[in-house]
This record gives sequence, structure tokens and C-alpha cells, in this order.
Amino acid sequence: MLEELLTKLREITASAAADLEAAKTEADIDAVKNRTLGRNGAVTALSSMMGKLPNESKRDAGKAFNEAKTAIQDALNAARERLESVVDEKNKIDVTLPGRRWAIGTKHPVSQAIEDACAIFRRMGFIAVTGPELEDVWHNFDALNAPLTHPSRDPQDTFYLEDGRLLRTQTSAVQIRTMMGRKPPLRIVSPGRCYRRDTPDATHGVHFHQLEGLYIDKQVSLADLKSTLMTFASEFFGREIEVRMRPSFFPFTEPSVECDFSCVMCGGKGCNVCKNSGWLEIAGAGMVNPKVLENVGYDPKEVQGYAFGFGLERLAMIKHRINDLRLFSDNDVRFLHQF
Amino acid sequence: MNISYNWLKKYIDLSLTADELPAKLTMAGLEVEGIEKTGSIPEGVVTAKILSRNPHENSDHLSVCQVDKGDEVLQIVCGAPNCDAGNIVPLATIGTTFKDGEGTFTIKKGKLRGVESFGMMCSARELGLSNDHDGLLILPADTKIGVPFGELMDSDVVYDCSVTPNRPDWLSHIGVARDIAALLDTKLVMPEICNADAPVVPGLVTVNDPDLCPIYAARIIRGVKVGDSPEWMQKALSAVGIRPISNLVDITNYVMMEMGVPLHAFDIRNLSGEKIIVRRAAEGESIVALDGKKYDLTPENLCICDAEKPVAIAGVMGGEYSGIQADTTTVVLESAFFDPDSIRMTSRKLGLSSDASYRYERGVDRNAVLAAGRRALQLILEIAGGEYVGCCEVAAPAPEVRTIEADYSRIRGLLGLEVTDSDIEKILISLGFGMTAPGVFTVPSWRVYDVVGEADLAEEVARIYGLDKLPAVPIRAITDDFKLDGCHVIESLRNQLTGIGLDEIVCGSMIDEKSATADKMFTPEELIRPYNPISLDLGVMRPSLLPGILNTVRHNIARKNLDLALFEIGHVFCKNTEKFPEERDELSIAVTGRIHPERFSAERAVVADFYDLKGILESLLTARKVKNFQFRAAEDPRFLKGHCAEVLVNKRVAGVFGEVVPALTKGMRLSTPLFVAMIQLKELLTAEERTLLYDPISPFPSTSRDVAFIAPKELEHRIVVDFIQKAHLPNLERVELFDIFEGEAVGEGRKSMAYSLIFRSAERTLTDDEVNSSYEKLRQKLERGLGVELR
Repeated sequence: MLEELLTKLREITASAAADLEAAKTEADIDAVKNRTLGRNGAVTALSSMMGKLPNESKRDAGKAFNEAKTAIQDALNAARERLESVVDEKNKIDVTLPGRRWAIGTKHPVSQAIEDACAIFRRMGFIAVTGPELEDVWHNFDALNAPLTHPSRDPQDTFYLEDGRLLRTQTSAVQIRTMMGRKPPLRIVSPGRCYRRDTPDATHGVHFHQLEGLYIDKQVSLADLKSTLMTFASEFFGREIEVRMRPSFFPFTEPSVECDFSCVMCGGKGCNVCKNSGWLEIAGAGMVNPKVLENVGYDPKEVQGYAFGFGLERLAMIKHRINDLRLFSDNDVRFLHQF
Repeated sequence: MNISYNWLKKYIDLSLTADELPAKLTMAGLEVEGIEKTGSIPEGVVTAKILSRNPHENSDHLSVCQVDKGDEVLQIVCGAPNCDAGNIVPLATIGTTFKDGEGTFTIKKGKLRGVESFGMMCSARELGLSNDHDGLLILPADTKIGVPFGELMDSDVVYDCSVTPNRPDWLSHIGVARDIAALLDTKLVMPEICNADAPVVPGLVTVNDPDLCPIYAARIIRGVKVGDSPEWMQKALSAVGIRPISNLVDITNYVMMEMGVPLHAFDIRNLSGEKIIVRRAAEGESIVALDGKKYDLTPENLCICDAEKPVAIAGVMGGEYSGIQADTTTVVLESAFFDPDSIRMTSRKLGLSSDASYRYERGVDRNAVLAAGRRALQLILEIAGGEYVGCCEVAAPAPEVRTIEADYSRIRGLLGLEVTDSDIEKILISLGFGMTAPGVFTVPSWRVYDVVGEADLAEEVARIYGLDKLPAVPIRAITDDFKLDGCHVIESLRNQLTGIGLDEIVCGSMIDEKSATADKMFTPEELIRPYNPISLDLGVMRPSLLPGILNTVRHNIARKNLDLALFEIGHVFCKNTEKFPEERDELSIAVTGRIHPERFSAERAVVADFYDLKGILESLLTARKVKNFQFRAAEDPRFLKGHCAEVLVNKRVAGVFGEVVPALTKGMRLSTPLFVAMIQLKELLTAEERTLLYDPISPFPSTSRDVAFIAPKELEHRIVVDFIQKAHLPNLERVELFDIFEGEAVGEGRKSMAYSLIFRSAERTLTDDEVNSSYEKLRQKLERGLGVELR
């Protein structure tokens, strides 16, 4: 009895395995399943014999049933997987076709320089402020302590309107406006467009963008300025930058300094970008002249502060190794897409 | 300003080499922009005599010479045509190192075509003496042999210094030497001056305008002999770029370069009446100056005159016929102080400047004027001979000495430098400041032009103490009020526009009038323009961003960049305040060409149309959380009729957009239509000043029904949507247009429209029955209310 049962189970399992190996469709597999494990299947039918077996054989028979069911089920699964993998192969797509891109626009490199600079200064506690490009002489020159005879006032260098006003030559005018409207302490940067009467060429244009900074408080020193500019320079260019200060002269500040950054290219060893000096002349700066503080109604005995300014086109040109200023105003999209 | 190293050495014990000095000067504020070495000969070059010259057996042009360098006779192979026996020449011996551009090269023992050579005989160019490279530099026959050649040459280094306008004292060698003395902590030695007295000649000098000429001294030297100045003086002047002329003229120039005081020498024969009158020019007077040009003078111009006429423009330039001539024997030497503003104005008005006016308008050391005259007197008597026979000095009382009180701790606080009290005092005193009490300083006469307060003293301390000693202190966390930041709004706008896929452009604000008025939105009178434009192409301030963006499109199309989606944010300007208040922020957007040029298949060919630009604006307004915006048809000369709309934000017109008219795109070779939007930033940005509040979202699924109908072509989408919304269907969440088309199938003058109605409840999942009943009601209403034909 038992032997007969076991033999039949082996036959069923073997034939199921063979059929499954040959199965070509999902239906073929389903047929094998129905024929064996289904409600009217052969294995199910045999299980009715179990009751007739002597008790001592039941255990072996049960084990054989389980083994047969497992074996058939495994074969079914394997057959299904085999078929699925065949289907996958047929539906394969060419993943090397170009993706359908979602265009993301680019910011103009000068805007990027402005935004990057503002972001760095904001982290240091500055806010960014703006002002008009048409300025009066008082905000642009007088309040900044520029002598009446200063060459920068000359119509050779500055654009004037018929009504005597002018196109601002620096954004310091915004600093004056901010100081006039607020009490210290204040920490501002003023980015924006300025105008100078330069004949356009590879490094000059009639307009450029400038960022000026101003920090007024009770205790502010040149040493604070140095660390602020070092932090700015290092973050902006993404490498450690040293700042060197040299005495200089600007009416707006006293003492005045020229700030050189260690060369972004060579780190100070000397290269053609820094003309082998190891330094790049970047910013004009200094301690705000007491006369300027008086001009805006501050008491120079009570507060002091530093101011600095630099050109953003120059920073962008150094950062991206752009060799011609005119690329900025051509706005060729092949250029814009690089940044 | 040219400063000579050798010249500086006359006044200070210079412990720095000529190579070390520039860095020191630059770090003290006198920027050295260029360095020129003259007559600097490398070590190892000696004088030598060519004993014999024989042809080289393997070369047509080389010679083999035996050359005597005093202690040794060497064989030298030479290619110069003039290496003849008997010539004395400079010889670079083995080991001599020459500078060659940025690098160097060293003379080695070598073989030239098989013949050994033990050095190189040099041309003038090889020694950097001149550009002469025709042959060897042949030295005079009496030149000693075996002498280092450098000893025969006066080498010097000249620095091209950029003098800031606050430091007129640096326009002289003594002025620069004074700062070096302070930097190096060494003594400044002043040159010898003649203290001899001569009888006062009454009436020699009359000063009519003492406010413009507070000091005028004239000294008469009789019996001078005009000739060449001595070689040392010629060399000194040549080194700093002044052409030697004759001893008397050279002396005045020399003293100017030495002490910073311009001097002038007259021939007494040319002074009518032997008188000098310092006065304003009379109306109608003129003078022919040394440059040979005639200048018409006005009472604004101070002049040096004789009894009859102007003989010099005071402090600017002498007259053509009043100066020193070859046969001059009696000289009147002028040393004077003129008002800087007066000189500057005269120089500007006449368009005439000189080394003298350059110094006077920046400010000459008033106290050095008389000394400079006596210094020149000393040199004249030494060099040109003669006798000091008379003088006349007219001097207004000296102005009060300026005193500054300094708080040392404030100086330290301003600089962030830990410099001691005694260092501060020592530095200021070394620069010539007087200290009347601790913290009380008098300003030396040569610094009155820029040192007025404590901050100026701080700068002097910083300069001499050294800014390289400045520490970088940690940044203090003091933050300003971010609410006042005026840039972050523009930054967020820029982020949104680039996020939509537009590229930012930045155009110039100065444009030509024709482009500015091409769109007929502004008349030439309304344009703001500088009165001194750099050229007519940059003659007006842009009244709109349109010309810039059109120009950018043109530039790109011309380079076959055909698919463009651009924007610009910038200031625009207009004089007519009724149009806008002078200066405002504008946003321009331009779209043309394919929307997805990088994609393939059908998408690739899709070209931007009106609705793409409108969609950009809708996306932007949505991204900015502007709730209340609408569009309506508009007419505008810049855009094609019927293809133009306005965008309203909070019921105010914020901008206009549409397809640009061909008149504005002439010559652009557009192959696809160009769409442009012009937006007023103020209207766009004021709309989003609010905190966003959460609007509850339903957790239940939505159900949708579609409705399609044939409608007259004129029926606007907006009418349909309004109609559906006004029907107040229960649970209708939104209406979406999903298809629209015209064509034969729907008939002439008609179009097919298809909408999706999306229903959703906040309380429950809607049943088909309730949605269907709403939907049916709407269908009937559409048919009756809009007269459409349901499909």
C-alpha cells in the first residue's frame, strides 16, 4: 500500500517537473498546478488513500506527501520565475536613451557672485541693503568726505545728469542712506550696479557691480576687518586665503588700506594670474573717517567702524577664470549655462 | 613718480638692498608699481683685451680669440663681427649668471663646433645697457684690463611709485627718505644749503595777492656761466625721467625732485624793469608758455609779471622768452608757495599741467620753500659759479601749527593693534611730528594736507608699525536685523525663475536712444541721460528692459542659440514721473524656440507659444503664493494684436506680455515666434507679504466626470469656468480643461471643449449616485445657459 503510494507520488512529481520545464506560458504552469496540487489534482486525490493506510505507515506517507508538495511547489515557482525573466527580456528598454530633462535655469555669474557674497556676509551677521542708482552729489561724494577737488568728481570719470545729479560711482551712497536712517550698531553690505566713465574693453565697462560692507559699533577695529575679509575670501573661493593689508588713501576712510588676497590660483607661490606677486589686489577698505560719521549724525567719540568695497565682476572673473568682461554683457546662453 | 635708489642714499643710511626696498615702501603705503634697473652688471663680467682673432675651422661666422683678462689669457669663441685684436671689451667669465626674462642662465665652459670656449664677450644688449646688439661693446682704449665691469658703470634702480593724493610730500626724494628713515629707525640727513646773506633789493618783488601767493622769494645771482650740469646731476635726473637741459634748469629740477618744491629761474634781462609782480592776470592778457603755445589769461589766473607783462603762469609754467638762455649771466631764482586750489583751477582751465603744477595743486611743504631756494642757490654757486648779490623775500605770517590730541587707547582700539604708548610716540616723532606733551602732537608742515585728526595719527602708527602685524581677531557674533535685508526677496525671485527653467541675463543700463524709443513707449524727452556720455551708443539710461532682452535674443539667434528662455531683473529709468517715479525695478522674460530641445521624439519639436509664457507667469505667481491674480486681453504696441494680455495682481496691472511685433524683431532672423513679458517688480513683490495659513486637506478620494461640448469659437474658457463655478455644484473641487480643438469635424466657427470636473467631500467618500446627479444637472445647465451642444 505504502509502496504503491510512494511510487505514485514520485511519478506525479517527476512528470510535473518535466512538464514545468517545458511550460511555455502561464497557462501551462497553471495546468500543471491544477493537475497535481489542485482541488481535483493527483496529489490531492492520493491523499484520500492516507486514511486507509496502517497507522505505522501514516507517518512515512505524510512525510512523502509534504516532500512531494514542496517539490512541486518549488518547481512551479521556478517555472514562473523562468517565464517572468523571459518576459522581462522582451520588455527591456534602452536606458542609454537621453532622459527627458526638466530645464533648470542658471543665474548670471555676476548675480551668483552677489548672492554668494551676501550669503557669506549674512552668516557673519550682515544684512544686504540696496539703494537708487541715480544719486545726488551729497550722498555720492560730499557725505563721503570726497574733497571738492577730488578727481573722481570730474566729469571725465563720473556720469552726470543735466540736473546736477549723477549715476552713483560706488554703493557707499547706500551706506550713507542707511546710516542716516538708523542708529548704530549696524552691519550691512550693499551690492549693486555702479557707473564709471571708462571706455569699454576686456576689463572695463561703463557699469560694474560692487559690494561694499560697513560695520559700525562701539568697538570695531582693523583687526576685525581683517578676519571678516579672510572669512569671506576663504568661503567665496573655497580655499584658505590670506589677507594682506597695505596703507592706502581713500577720503571715506582713515586709516585706509588696500586689501590683497593671497592668490586664488597658486596660493601665494606666484603664477601668471597674480603676476608672480602671490597677491591679488581685491578690496579698498579702512576705518570710517570720523568726518563721515559726523556727516551722518553719529558721534565719532562714541562709535567707530570699518568699511570695505570690491568689484564683483573681478571676483567672478578670478573665481571662474573668465578673461573678458564683455562675456558678462553678451549673455550668450552657452556662456550662461556654464555657471 | 620715479624714485631713484641711489638718490635716496644721499639722505639716509639705507640698510635695505634695492630689491628689498619696494616691499617695504609698498607696505608703508607707497605702492611700487614698477622697478627699472639701469646699468646693473652681473658679477663676473670684467674688462678684457682681445689679443688675437683667428677664423674658426668649422664655421664661417665664428672666430677664435685669445683674450687677456689681466691675470689670465683665455680662449673665447665669438660670433660678433667686431672681435678684432686690440679691442677692449666686457667679458663674462665662467660662472657669471645673467637674468633672462623670468629665469637666469649661467656662463659655462663649452665647446662651439669642436673648439673650447672659456667665457663670453658681451654686447651692450646682453648687459642690459642698451638695445645695441650689432656687435661687442667696445670700451675706450685706455680702459684698465681685469676690472669688474660693474665698477665702471653706475648702476641704479628706479621705482615707479604710485603716490596717493594725500601724500604730496612723497613727490620728492627727501619726502620718501623721511618715511624710510622712520621705517628703518635711522636718521635723515638733509642736504647742504647756502646760508649766505645778500643785500635786500627793495621793490624787486611785489605780491598783489598774498592769499594766492603767501611766500615769494627772489634771489639774484650775477656772473653765472650757463653750460652742461655735472655728470652726477645729469645721471640723477635722467634716472627719474627728466631730460637734462643746462646747469641752471637742471638745478631747479634737481631741487624739485629732491625737496618737492618747484623753482623757476629767470634771466634778469627778460624782466622788464627788473621787477617781479605777482598778480592776477588782467582781462585780455595772454602769454606764450615754454611749450610754445599761447594761453589767454583771466583774473582767475595768478601770474608772475614784470613791470609790463606776465612772464610766467604762477606755479604752472614759465613764459617762452623769460627763462634761461645760453648767454644768461644774471639769474633771478624764484622759490614760492602758491595756493593749491588756485593752481589747480588755472591748470584745469588752461588745460596745461606740469611737474610744478602737479606738486603745487597737491600741496607743497610751505616751510621748505625758502630752504629749497637756498639749496638751489648753493648748487648754482657750486656748479654755475657767480655771486649772490641780492634778494627779496615776501612772506605772509605762517599759519598756526596744527595740534592734535590723541588717545592712545583709542588708536589701539581703532587698529586692533597692541602697540605701546612709547611706540606710538616714537613713530610719530620719527615722522617729524612734534610732541608738546604726552598725547599732544603738532603736525609737520609737509603733512598739513592730510593729517587733521586722531584717525590720521592712527594711520601713521599703522603704516610704520606694520599692518602685517595686524591679528585677525575672531568674528564677533553681532547680527543686524534681517527684516531690513533688501536683497533676499530678489534672490527668492531669481531662484523661482531659474527653477522654472529660465536663464538669467544681465544687460547694460546705458543704451542708444534709438533702441530706447524703438518700442514707442517712451519719447526721447522722457529718457534720463548723462550729459557726458562715453558715446552716443551709450547715450541714455534704459527706460525698460525690453531693448536689452531683445538685443540678447538677437545676439544668441545670430550664433544659432535658437531655443531661449531668458529673464532679467534690473533698474529702469524715466524722467516722466507720471509714467513711473524715475527709477524702478523691472522683470523681463523672453521665450522663443523649442521648449524641450534636449528631448527626443515628438516633444522635441514643440515650440513655445503664448500659453508657455503665460504658464511661466502662472507658475511664478503660484510659487510666490500670490492668490489674487488674473489675466485679461490687452492691447499694446509692442505685442501682436490679439496675442497680448495683462497680468493683474490684487486687481492692479503688474505686467503685460505677448507675442512681439515684427517691427521690434526686424533683422533678428527669428525662425520661431518671440514671446516677451514685462513685469513691474513692485506690483509682483508687494503681493506676497503674508504668513501662509494651513488649509485642511480632505482624507477622502476624489471622483471625476468629464463633460465635452461643441461651442461657438468666441466662447472664452474663462466664461465656461465661471459658469460652472457659479452653478455651485455640491462637492465640486475644481474644473480642469483637458482638451480643446477646432476643425472640420466640429464645423466652421465652432470648437470642441472638454472639461474634467473633480468632486471631493471633506466628510466622506462620495457615491457614484450623488456625483452623477450633480453632473447631470450641470450638463443641462451648460446646454441651456451657454447654448453649447453636448457631445
